[in-house]
This record gives sequence, C-alpha cells and structure tokens, in this order.
Amino acid sequence: MNTVLVFLEAKSGEPTRISLEALAAGAQMAAATGAELAVAMVGAATGAGFEMLGAARQVFAIEDPLLSEYTADGFTASYAQLIEQVKPEFVVLPHTYQVRDFAPRLATRLGRVLISDVTGIAMDAGKVTLTRQLFQGKLNGHYHAVAHAPTLLSVQAGAFRAEAATVTQASVTTFTPNLDAASIRTKPGEPFRAAAQTVDLASAPLLVSVGRGIKDEANLPLVKELAEALGAELAASRPICDAGWLPMERQVGSSGQTVAPKLYLAVGISGAIQHLVGMKGSQCVVAINKDENAPIFEIADYGIVGDLFEVVPALTAAVRKAKG
Amino acid sequence: MKIIVAIKQVPERDARIRIDSAGKWIALDEIEFRMNESDAYALEEALLLKEAHGGEVVVLSAGPERVGQTIREALAKGADRGIHIASDKLGEYDALGVARLMAAAIADEQADLILTGLQSDDLGLGQTGVILAELLGIPHSSLILKIEKTEAGIRVLRELEDGWFQHIEMTTPALLTIQSGNTRLRYATLMGIKKARSKELRVVEADAISVDAARCVSLDSVALPSRQKTTQMLTGTPAEAAAALVEKLQQEVRVL
Amino acid sequence: MPVVSPIFAACWLPGLTLAEPVHFSLVEKLLLAALIAASGWLFWRRFGVIARRILAARKDADFHLFPLGRRCWDFFWEVLCQAKVIRERPLPGLAHAFVFWSFLAFALVTANHVATGFGVGFLDPGGFFGRLYFLIAAIFALACAVSIAGLFVRRFVVRPVWLAHKDKTVSWESGVIAGLIFLLMATYLGAYFVPDGSLAVRLLWWAHTLTLLSFLPLVPHTKHLHLILSPVTVFLSRGGFSEIPPLADDDDFGLVTGKDVTQLTALQVYSCVECGRCTEHCPAANTGKELNPREIILGLRGYLNEFGPASEESLLGRWNSQQAAFQCTTCGSCEFQCPVGIEHLPVIVGLRRGAVNTGEWEDEHGGKLFLALERSGNALGMAHSEREKFMAREELPMFDGSQEYCLWLGCMGGYDPKGREIIRSFVEVMRYLGTSYGVMRREKCTGDPARRLGNDLVFQQLAEANLETLAQNKVKKIVSICPHCVRTISEDWKAYGTPPEIEHHSEFLARHQARLPKSAASQTGQTGQTVFHDPCYLGRYRNVYEEPRAIVRAHGDLVEAERSRERSFCCGAGGGLAFLGEEQGARVSETRVEQLVATGATTIGAACPFCNTMFRDALASRGEGAPQLLDIAQIAAAALPTSVKESDSLNMQEERREEK
Ligand SMILES: Cc1cc2nc3c(=O)[nH]c(=O)nc-3n(C[C@H](O)[C@H](O)[C@H](O)COP(=O)(O)OP(=O)(O)OC[C@H]3O[C@@H](n4cnc5c(N)ncnc54)[C@H](O)[C@@H]3O)c2cc1C
Ligand code: SF4
Ligand code: SF4
Repeated sequence: MNTVLVFLEAKSGEPTRISLEALAAGAQMAAATGAELAVAMVGAATGAGFEMLGAARQVFAIEDPLLSEYTADGFTASYAQLIEQVKPEFVVLPHTYQVRDFAPRLATRLGRVLISDVTGIAMDAGKVTLTRQLFQGKLNGHYHAVAHAPTLLSVQAGAFRAEAATVTQASVTTFTPNLDAASIRTKPGEPFRAAAQTVDLASAPLLVSVGRGIKDEANLPLVKELAEALGAELAASRPICDAGWLPMERQVGSSGQTVAPKLYLAVGISGAIQHLVGMKGSQCVVAINKDENAPIFEIADYGIVGDLFEVVPALTAAVRKAKG
Repeated sequence: MKIIVAIKQVPERDARIRIDSAGKWIALDEIEFRMNESDAYALEEALLLKEAHGGEVVVLSAGPERVGQTIREALAKGADRGIHIASDKLGEYDALGVARLMAAAIADEQADLILTGLQSDDLGLGQTGVILAELLGIPHSSLILKIEKTEAGIRVLRELEDGWFQHIEMTTPALLTIQSGNTRLRYATLMGIKKARSKELRVVEADAISVDAARCVSLDSVALPSRQKTTQMLTGTPAEAAAALVEKLQQEVRVL
Repeated sequence: MPVVSPIFAACWLPGLTLAEPVHFSLVEKLLLAALIAASGWLFWRRFGVIARRILAARKDADFHLFPLGRRCWDFFWEVLCQAKVIRERPLPGLAHAFVFWSFLAFALVTANHVATGFGVGFLDPGGFFGRLYFLIAAIFALACAVSIAGLFVRRFVVRPVWLAHKDKTVSWESGVIAGLIFLLMATYLGAYFVPDGSLAVRLLWWAHTLTLLSFLPLVPHTKHLHLILSPVTVFLSRGGFSEIPPLADDDDFGLVTGKDVTQLTALQVYSCVECGRCTEHCPAANTGKELNPREIILGLRGYLNEFGPASEESLLGRWNSQQAAFQCTTCGSCEFQCPVGIEHLPVIVGLRRGAVNTGEWEDEHGGKLFLALERSGNALGMAHSEREKFMAREELPMFDGSQEYCLWLGCMGGYDPKGREIIRSFVEVMRYLGTSYGVMRREKCTGDPARRLGNDLVFQQLAEANLETLAQNKVKKIVSICPHCVRTISEDWKAYGTPPEIEHHSEFLARHQARLPKSAASQTGQTGQTVFHDPCYLGRYRNVYEEPRAIVRAHGDLVEAERSRERSFCCGAGGGLAFLGEEQGARVSETRVEQLVATGATTIGAACPFCNTMFRDALASRGEGAPQLLDIAQIAAAALPTSVKESDSLNMQEERREEK
C-alpha cells in the first residue's frame, strides 16, 4: 500500500505547530489517495502532543546519538535511509529553517527535487497539483512532480490547519539509521540569542512605533506597555528622537534605521515620506491615527481611525487577554 | 581563498507582473532585470573575505545573454572573473538540472568556498545552492550571516528561527547560502565598471554540457492570487477595533 | 559733464601742478635699476612658481575660448565695473572698486613715474594732458586713500566674522598691504603740496618708488595675487552656473589627486581673495557644519602649494575633508557670490566624484541611496508599483505621443504623499486649462542626487534610460513640479543626449495666469501675507524669480524674506542631502523656516517638492500657529471653481459657450 510519510519537528518533546500543519497536509493527501499515513521524527516521541498524531498508522522514532544535535549531513542520511525502507509515495515536511537546510539535499540524494513552501494541494484523478508562491507572493505557481516516487514537499507555516488532524491509535517503531561520525562534516555550536541590551530594530520581528501624536514624554508608558504585551521592540519617528524622548537608534526612517519586521504598528505617526522609506518593507503595517487622511493609512494593511489614548490601552488589554 | 559566488539574474523586485499568453510564466517584455538580492549579499561576503585574506572571487551565473550584464556588475563591484552558463531555455531545467549545469561548469575550479544567495526573488526555491553542495559532495550550511576563516576551515553564523543564532564550524571546501541584510552592500562605481571591462568572462554553452536534464518537477501554470493588498479599516469602539485587530494579528498576520 | 568741467578749470590753477624731480644722477639711476631688478626678481621668484603650477596642471578638456562675447561682457561687468563686488556689499564693495579704479588710473602714472627716474618721463606735469591726467589720478588717489583707510578700519576694528581665518585671526598682511597702498597714494598726493625743486620732492619721489617696489613682491605672496589673476580668472571662467564639467577620459574619476586638478581650477584657487563672501552665504557654514567654501578653495591652494599638481597624494586628507565635501547642498550661493569668478561647485562636486567614483566614500545613507537608484530607479527606494497605483487612482492619462506635455512626476511627485498633492493640484489646473498631458510609466529618477553626490555611473545609467524612454514615447515637451528635475534634465543630461524641452510648472502657470481665476481673497485683500521662498535650483540655477511671484501675487499679498531671490537661503535638501543622515550642527531647514516665519507671513509659498518636505518637517516642530505651507500649484488650484475641479475643463466650457 502507498504511504504518505510526514517528517515532524519537535521542541522539548512536543511536535511544533507547523509540524502538525504538515501532518494535516499529509493526512489530506493520504485520504485523497487512499494511502497510509506514517510519521517520523528524530528522537523519542514522548510528549503528550504525540498522542494526537492524527490518522498516522505508524510512527518512526529515529534514534541515534549522532542526531542529538541537528546537522544537515546526519538528518539527510537518516531520512534518506528511512525513505528507502518505507518507500513512500509522498514525503511531507514542515517548511522550517531546518527543513530548508537539509531537504533539498535529501531530495537530491534520492534523485528528486523538493517542492518547497507549498501553500495548497489539489488532488484530481490521481494527479497532485501543488501550489507555491512566486515573486514574494505576487504570483502563484502550480507544480506537479514528474516521473518516479517519492514526491517531496514542504508546507508553508499557516497554510494548513493543524486542527484538521484526527486522533487514532498508532504504533511507534524505533528506526536506527546507519550513521558514521566521519560523514557528519559540520560542527554546530549552542544556539544563542542576540545580546539583549543593544537595540537592533533591523532584526526585531515586531515593532511598535510611536510618533508625535503621543504629545508628551509622560505618555510614552502607554506605548511601552503595548510593546511589552506584544513582545515587540519600541521604535519612533524623528520628532520623538529629536526631543530626546527616545534614543536616536530607535528612529525609523531615511535618516534613521531601515526596518522590515513582520509587524509594524505605527501609533500617532502621520507617514511622512522620510518615515515611509524606512519601514515600507514591513510585512504587515498597522496604523492607529486620529486623522483618517493621514498618509500612513495608504500603506497600512490594517488601520484604526481613533484617538490613540483610547485605542492603545484597549489594544494592550486585548493583546494581554489573547495571550492569556 | 578561492570563492565562487553563484548569482542569479531576476526580474527587479517590484516588476509589474503580467502573465504571458501561454499562462506558464510572466511576460518578460517591459521587465528590467537585477541581481538577485541575497546573491548581492553573497557577493559582498565573498569580497569582504577576499579583502581580508586575499584570493580570488569568481562569479557564476546561468541564463540568456542578458545575464552577462549582471556578471559585469559583479565584476565591477570587485569580483575577479566570471563564468556564464549561456542558455535561452533555462526554464526547461528544474533546480536539480540547473545545479547540475553549475556543478559541471565549475568542476575544474577547485574552489575553497561556494556562496549563493539564500533564495531567488522570482522562484523563491531556496534550493539551488544546497543541491549544488550535494552534487559536489561538500558540506553546506544555509541562512548564513557571517563567515570567519579558521585554521581548519571556516566558522559561520547561522540564523535560526525567532531571533536565535548558532555558530557552525566546518572544513572547506564548503557551500554556504547567504541571508540578506547583514552587511552593507557596496555601490557600483565608475572605476569598478571600467576595470571590469578587462576582466575575463568565460561563456559556457549549456547545450555543450552533458548533464541529465530530465525534469523531476514541472511548473504547469501560474496565476495571480485573488486577493490584492488593500488597507482594511477596523471600525467600532476602541475596544471593538482592538479586538478585531488582535484577531487579525492571530489569524492572518500570525504574530500572536 | 558737470563733474569734468571743474576739473578742466582746476587744471589751470597754478598750485595744482604735480612736483617731479627733474634730474637723476647716475648713481640714482643705477640704484633705481637695481631696486627694480630686485623687486622684479622677488616678485617672479614667487609668481613664477605659481604660474608654473597653474600651467603644469591638467588641461581642461572641455575648454573653449570662443565665443568671446560672453567673456568680454563678464570681464567688463565683473572686473571693470566691479559689479559683483559692489552688489552684495555695497559700501565696502564701492571702497574696493575705488581702489581698483585708482590702480587702473595709476597704470599710466606709475609708468611715467619710473620713466622719470630714468629721465624719459613722458607725461609733462605742466602740459595740458599731463595736468589733466595727474589731476584725475589725484582724485582717484584721494578716493583710494579714503577707501583703503575705511577698509582697514573695517577689517581690523569692525572685524566682520566672514573675513576672519579659520582660526579667527585676521590676516596681518592685509594690514601691511593697506598701509602700502595708503602710502602710495599719500606720496603721490603729497607731490602737490611740496615746492617744485625742493628736496622734499625728491624724497617723496623715492618714497613712492620704494613703496611701489616693496608692494610688487608682496603681491604674489599674499591674497593680493588676485590683482593679477582674477581678471584672467573671470575672463577664462567656464561660464554657465554651477556647471559640472564632463569627465575627460577613461582615467578621469573626478578630483582624486593633484593630477586631476585642471588649469582653470588651479588658476581659480590662486585667485581667491579670501573675502569670505562665499562662506557668508553658505547654508552649511551658517549652521555649524564643517564645510566652509572659502576653506575648500584655500585648502586646494594649500594642497597645490605643498604637493603641486603632479602629486598622487589624495586631495581629501590634510587639506580638505571628505566630511566637509559631503555637507554641501549645492545651493550655489558661494559661486554666485564670488567676486573673482571662482567656481566652487565643479570643485566640491569634483571632490565628491573622486570619492564616489572610486568607492572611497562610505556612508550608510549614501550607500542606501545609490543602491535604491541602482535597483529601484528612484531615490526613495520605493516600489514603482506604488507610483502606478497613484497614477491609477488619480486617473492620470498615459503619455502616448498625442499630448502636448509629458508631465514629469519625479520621485517626490510620484511617491511622496505631499509631493503627490502638488501634482494633484497642478493637474487640476491643467485640466481646467484643457492642456493635454500624459505621464510615463517608465519614468525613473533624473539622477539629480547621484549627479550632485558625484556618482557618475548611476547618473549616466539613469540619464540614458530616461532619454531612451522619452525618445520612444516621442516626448517633445516636459513640465515638472521639481526644479531639480528641470535642471538635471535640461542641463546635466546633455552629456548623454538631447533632452526634450522642459519647463518648471511656475513658468507654465505664469504663462497661463491670465486664463486662471484669481482668488477672491486677492481682490478683497483679506488674507494674510505670503512669503515666497526661492528654490536654489529655480532661482540661481534657472534665473526664474518673477514667475512664481506672479502666481503668488494673483492670490494674495507677497512679502519678501530678508534673504530672497538671488540671495535666497537653501532649504537644506539639495546636493542629495535630503537623503543623507542627520546634519551636523543646526538643521538648514529650520534656519530657513526661521527666516521665513520672521516675515510674519501666514503662508509660505514654495515651488519645489524638496523645499516643501524640508519646511513641512521644520514647521511641524513649531507647533500651532505656524504658517501654512503651499506650493504655487496649490495656491493656483485653490482659486479654481469647485464645480470645474473634477472634470470640467476651460475648453469644455468654451466649447459649450460656442455651442450656445
Ligand atoms: C531630511 C529629513 C530627514 C528625515 N528623516 C526622518 C526619519 O528618519 N524618520 C522620521 O520619522 N522622520 C524623518 N523626517 C521627518 C519627517 O519629515 C516628519 O516630519 C516626521 O516623520 C513626522 O513624524 P510624526 O509622524 O511622528 O509627526 P506628525 O507628522 O506630526 O504626525 C503626528 C500624527 O499623529 C496623529 N495624532 C495626533 N494626535 C493623535 C491622537 N491623539 N491619536 C491618534 N493620532 C494622533 C496626527 O493625526 C498625525 O498624523 C525627516 C525629515 C527630513 C526633512
Ligand atoms: S553650494 Fe551652497 S552649501 Fe555648497 S558650499 Fe556653496 S554655499 Fe555652501
Ligand atoms: S572663493 Fe571667492 S567668495 Fe570665497 S573667499 Fe575666495 S574670493 Fe571670496
């Protein structure tokens, strides 16, 4: 019988959210093709999360001391060996930084090409069409795999709903790959976080940015609280830094920093061109401004027209509530 | 240190995307081409390494004639020579096919380091470099921010998710894919352009390279996504707007 | 001739005869000859070196002596009439002019003076011509003596800050020279008051001679070298205003080392009189920046003195700093003011070219700007889809060759929310007038910031790409809201092709003024006053002063700032500086806004989107009560009847009228 093999990533013994999304995608494919769903991961499946591995009939726990730290060489070799053994039709992976690192190599070793960062799967009369984004999301491309199995794909975070997995009983098999220490050519160090005391707006994923609308230095705690609730860094427009309310290195714009965070939340900023050029690369811009004609709304994805002194506290509360 | 930098020429980031008549790719008339952004960072890293340790920087690019322009740009910025894998139908190869061409073209180079950008701005596969490493049988690491030379080889800084980083050591030859944004790119200069004129640019015809060109994946068609970006105004009382925003941040932006 | 006739009459007054020694002994003649030789030798010892340095410099590749008309006029107006000298500093200027004119008058007197010493004097103090000429010279001598005394007092007692050196000292040589000039005049005039044939006559003659002969060698050793060089400098100047010369050949990257200094530049730097007029008007020097245009010129002179024009030593280093060179807004005030015809911008931009074309200049914001221009084709690094969205939203028609004008949006008009408002207003006016226009999808930055920052590569790429697009679209006429675009397209692009005709919207609006409604306010006189700020690139660079004022006047009261027209003070944006990082010292924009606000006007009229963005920011920080800021297009559009604003054009109205 055909198999859809899903590789999972786990953090502290629990499958990550995006792994469960990959599992959901795999389950969908298995259901459509009448294939059997199998999952595999490196390390022992211990966490409670593994009890809900959905429709998986088989769970492979890949164990080897050489896999205690991630290396592209170790993972590629182990996964390739498991695939040799299982001979799946489809191999599904979550599109994480780690998967990006080794999966193309794995595919090459199998003589295949990974279809990466997939956002949609369509099954029609045995033909599987995989959709992925081109040109930074400005275009969708529809792909299919040619020739022999397996087809390898990685799925984009958020493209599939993790909840779609249903619970059944699975049997756990330990898989011990045949690894040779000499074949692992990279030596990874301990992961670390960037030193916290230096302000590095450029690499902060979330920014709350405050402008002249805040009126007074004494009101700054309002936005600081919002930033804290979101886990965001605080940024500002030039007048705020000119006044010395925040240090220069927090200034975003043509004479300050250029930033491209996932979220840029502009509070009381009008959106002068010198400011826009510094943050136009942000993935999502939210603007709170009392002036509905403020230019910042032109580039915002979400806008709230209102008094920041009312909206910001409400937002802080809502964020805190959502985070529990 | 001899460093090969693989560079791709792509439609400029903000090109106006229209689909061609066959529906298989975008219409290329009216499109201007640029050096892929993360490749520009890969080139910068290579030049910095050369400035620090000496050696040679060779740029490698595959594509039609216009690719020569991008190679020249790299030469102008300080690379020493270029290799152009010339082909008008590169679109018929998949990532593995292109990597095979590249591997063949640099087989005799004996480079210490091969750098590529993290991913291309057009296809966004993020794979060619890693595939190339496998084909050449050398170690690799991706999402690299910094490269240091060590006694035994190199030590690199790799970006992990959620603001985490990691150092990785490896021996050379090795392949690294470079993440954008960690260094300041140099601008092209008149002097550089003039110097580039006398630098070697070797053209290798793709057709003359015998590789297995059979495709494993095929791009059947392209389509414009239905939802274009517009500003959504969230209305209601402050509390309602805030709640609506939080929901968007959770569901759509996924930052909560 | 009311002045001349008394002089004629005075000629025959018996007391008004110049006393001259009649006979010189051989010893005296030999002594005189020896002194002249010594003086001449001392003069040449220095002057020869300088002349050789100037001549040894590289030839100016683009130099053409002809046509001579302009040169002769400049020489007449600026040298002989001392027009520039007087214009900006009338009193000291006039004093200087008198000293200069006296020197001219004295040419003959001095020749005769020396000739007399050898017994071959040719002007007879008793003859009609001699009497007349000596008397005229005497009048000049008097004026000169008074003037030089006045200038002495000004320099050493009043001490205007612009005359001081970098280290705040005043040059003592000027004092010595002033003393010598005074002495020259005194010893000349004295001869009217001593009895003929007395010993005093002989002593005075020798005193005059010795003063003259000590003056001569001092000339090339001091800034008074300008006596000799500046007439040449003015005559040979490149012409045009703030012209950036083309690069000579493949090895020319701008001013990198002494080898890149051209003859004209060398001549100019040795002509500088250190008057500090350039610095007095420089927005950078006035706001506490390192840049000081006089010191740039003197720095180059210092370099040539130390290393000479064949040196491989970098020009940026001991004598001139990179930081200063990149603080210039290219406002052109310095060049406009300089009385001896020194062209600062070829030097300052030349130094930038040298630093940028070779990759020496490393600047976070500058690098970003160049990459934005390289990669996005606009100075803001914005996605050009943003521009297209704007064009679609405003329903701007595409230029298809059938319309009269190509409306050039420029970076600010295309991307800046405030620049877009100017475009919107200007388009309303054009629609009202029924002018046909279109915009181009593939318009790129004109390259102005790259050009002024010395990036010839990016500038050339942008100029060529734009010229090609314009040619493809068969554009014949362009109108633009941005003086920088206008200047760059009309002048700088010439290096790479033939740009279409272009005008600034102020010129367009002024021409159509008669067909545009006036503001009700201008008729009732009830609004506050408007102060118009002359953009550097419209005023000094293009000589357009009246057109924007005409528009302002049609819609309200115009007041002038203390510094306006040719003397307008920069907004701080030019020369690519709008895109660089924080300024050293005070912000130029805030300094200028201060000057504009001081007029008490309630509206500031602007005619450049860069001035606009600079002032908007500076005004915002003044809080409530600051004057409003409007472009002239906005001023003109505000008076359009609201009913026609949307779609109705004047033409359509006229057509309808005709139908009736
Ligand atoms: C050469 C140059 C370089 C510059 N560089 C930079 C730069 O790097 N970065 C930068 O930011 N700026 C820069 N500027 C300044 C820029 O032009 C703007 O002046 C500045 O960005 C404006 O900041 P702002 O939006 O905070 O203030 P404003 O423009 O004054 O906007 C304040 C906004 O707050 C809103 N507001 C007021 N009260 C409330 C309220 N109670 N609730 C909600 N909203 C409210 C108002 O509607 C308004 O839109 C530069 C300017 C120049 C000339
Ligand atoms: S152009 Fe303007 S800013 Fe530059 S040196 Fe001259 S006066 Fe100063
Ligand atoms: S450059 Fe011209 S204006 Fe400036 S100090 Fe010299 S002579 Fe005067």
